[in-house]
Amino acid sequence: MLLLAALPAVLRGQGGSPSATFAARGILAGTYSSREPFGGDMAQLRVVQPMLMAHADAYDRHLRVTSTVDFEAWTIPDGELTIGAWGEGFVDRRHPHTILHELVASGVGRVGRAELSLSGGKGFAAFGSDDPANRLTLRYPVNHHWSQILERAVLTGGALVGPIMAEASLFNGDEPEYPEQSPNFSRFGDSWSGRLTAFPVRGLRLEASYAKVASPEHRAGAGPTQHKWHASGQWTGPVDGHPFYAMAEWARTEEADGFFVFHSLLAEASWELGPTRLYYQFERTERPEEERILGQPTRSLRPHLENSILGTSRWTLNTVGVGRDLLADGGTFRLRPFVEVSYATVVELTGGVFDPATWYGGTDFWGLTLGVTVGLGRTAFSHLMGRYGVAEDAGANPAHSHHH
Amino acid sequence: MTDDRALVAMGARAALLLILAGCGGSDSGGPSTPPPPGEFRTLGGGNDVPERYTSDLWVHGEYAYTGTWGYRSVVGNALKVWHLDAAGAPTLVDSIITPGIVTVSDVEVSSDGTLLAFSGENGVGGGLYLYSLASPAHPAFIASYLVENGLHTATFGYIGGRRYIFAAKNPASPALMIFEIDPANATPIALTSTVPVPANYGHHDTFVRDGIAFVCAWNTGVLIYDVGDGVRGGSPQSPQLIASLVTAGGQVHNAWWFHNPVTGEKKYLFVGQEGPASIGSSSSGNIHVVDVSTLSRPREVASFGVPGAGTHNFWMDEARQVLYAAYYNGGVVALDVSGVLSGDLSSRLIARSLPGGAGDTYVWGVMLANGHLYASDMLSGLWELQTP
Repeated sequence: MLLLAALPAVLRGQGGSPSATFAARGILAGTYSSREPFGGDMAQLRVVQPMLMAHADAYDRHLRVTSTVDFEAWTIPDGELTIGAWGEGFVDRRHPHTILHELVASGVGRVGRAELSLSGGKGFAAFGSDDPANRLTLRYPVNHHWSQILERAVLTGGALVGPIMAEASLFNGDEPEYPEQSPNFSRFGDSWSGRLTAFPVRGLRLEASYAKVASPEHRAGAGPTQHKWHASGQWTGPVDGHPFYAMAEWARTEEADGFFVFHSLLAEASWELGPTRLYYQFERTERPEEERILGQPTRSLRPHLENSILGTSRWTLNTVGVGRDLLADGGTFRLRPFVEVSYATVVELTGGVFDPATWYGGTDFWGLTLGVTVGLGRTAFSHLMGRYGVAEDAGANPAHSHHH
Repeated sequence: MTDDRALVAMGARAALLLILAGCGGSDSGGPSTPPPPGEFRTLGGGNDVPERYTSDLWVHGEYAYTGTWGYRSVVGNALKVWHLDAAGAPTLVDSIITPGIVTVSDVEVSSDGTLLAFSGENGVGGGLYLYSLASPAHPAFIASYLVENGLHTATFGYIGGRRYIFAAKNPASPALMIFEIDPANATPIALTSTVPVPANYGHHDTFVRDGIAFVCAWNTGVLIYDVGDGVRGGSPQSPQLIASLVTAGGQVHNAWWFHNPVTGEKKYLFVGQEGPASIGSSSSGNIHVVDVSTLSRPREVASFGVPGAGTHNFWMDEARQVLYAAYYNGGVVALDVSGVLSGDLSSRLIARSLPGGAGDTYVWGVMLANGHLYASDMLSGLWELQTP
């Protein structure tokens, strides 16, 4: 962050107009779930997604640096109460992200009609949809690990020609095991992804992605390879004179030569009526069920010992929310209280030994969150994570405003 | 066995034989005639551990001991003690509950029948547990040795007149741990040596015979150690690596070194591959046959697979040259391993059975004892089977 702050001063007089923006954001959220592992209900009050965000550019924006520092290692070390969430050793809790969430430098240039970029650092691979932190619901979708690939050592090349954008990434397959952990740089290049995006008409974005990710859940590389596909369509525009956003995505991940296959469908929309936002999300996603740790029913065994799971569950969720800008005058201090209600059901699909009725004491779940998002800085709600180089400009549309 | 289950088992076997017949085989050096068709018949047991998933088993004399796994309606922290009646059918007589573990991952009785050892994992109580079998119906605690992250398996080995346990230490720092076991000693479980195993999912099981330890180390393959044979000067205190081999597909889980009393050969090592699985419903992984007639140059020569199922633990009737394999959702398999083994061994299948019936079978282990085959089924408990 300090380096980014110093960048404009260092580059002053080097041509162009070097600049840097900084912002901070966090959400105070009280969440209730009607069911927990081993039965009963659960309430939790936490600060989630506390982040410092920075963006700097120089040389007429030919050089760009994006960074996000995440402090969830301290605010949710045991995860955020999110029944259905999973990944990185957490189950029914959304895992904390790594402290250095992203730090990516991009060089951007033009050759004829093509805008080209090369980006490198730690961050998101070119795959799938935008991170849920940049979208609608506070509740992270179950499909986070099917629809995004993040916190990797990554090198991404991008080309934007007219309405078509192509990106390809090389990265390390291993996902983080804890917030302080760096990517396993020795595995850089063992995984790759590609994303093709089209902008056929104003406000419409169509995307298709593929990724081959080696051993994401075993840092040393002994785990099976994932093949991931993702497609989405997104539209932003006015409805009845008010800004409207809608997105639908499909994802499929197969693992261990197709022995395991997981699917996801998600659709979401928001409508802004002045300072008030209404939003809704539907999701149907399959999740692997892993053996959990004795006394820690929201953590799964790591590192893995074998390639077995306890079954595959399918989660169907409906989430509706409303938020309101209390300080929407363009100032640097932002305040957005919101309320979010979710209803979920779960079934086991494969005949495995995971029995949700036994595990949770039932198969339907109600969730309620009351929260307030606090932002400091003009980009506090619009800082875009995970889009670098040519994708940064192409992705900068009204959908990418933090909507809680 | 109920008539329904018998019909299911026969139907499944018939279907399997049809599939395998269609697959053909390249077993060029096998017996001159196909193995006679056989059939497992259920003699006793079954559906006898409804509250827990069953794991490993061991049978000695009139008693059997089974472990438990994971979480069903209660935690798999129990060792079950079974009395076998005159016909060999099991009746539960005792349970030993071990706090701080979720799985009793391996169970074994010493060859003289005086000691019971089991490993525990997934909890702060993970490690090695030793019990006296002075009263075999009610084992008495002697000692435990706790190991961070627990032990996956524990196997007795006898070298130089001493008794050892060869144990597989779980990740994050997997290793072969060798303990000397002497209940008369002030330290009944004494750590003798620790041999790190690459964290390639680590160490799963060990087969020890004649001073040779076959360490099954997942994607690192099978590691052949001299622990007292003398070929490399190894000992339990200082195991010496002789050779290693990654069988096709890796995921090396367990092994059995076949000493053939008919031919006098010690040529074949059977290796179990534990592939991906959805526990309770599906599994994968083949049996690989490795020629170890020269221990320093092991080479894979044959394999066997069941479509839609994967193998787990083995037992052998060496005199009859029959390999019994637990096959998870594939039940129990009997394989003719006489003669020369080469290529696809599908034609060597003697019999297959689903002890719990279709949809309720997921067999962890098998053991031949008192002339009967005992099978521990994660879903339907302990079974007594008549061999084909």
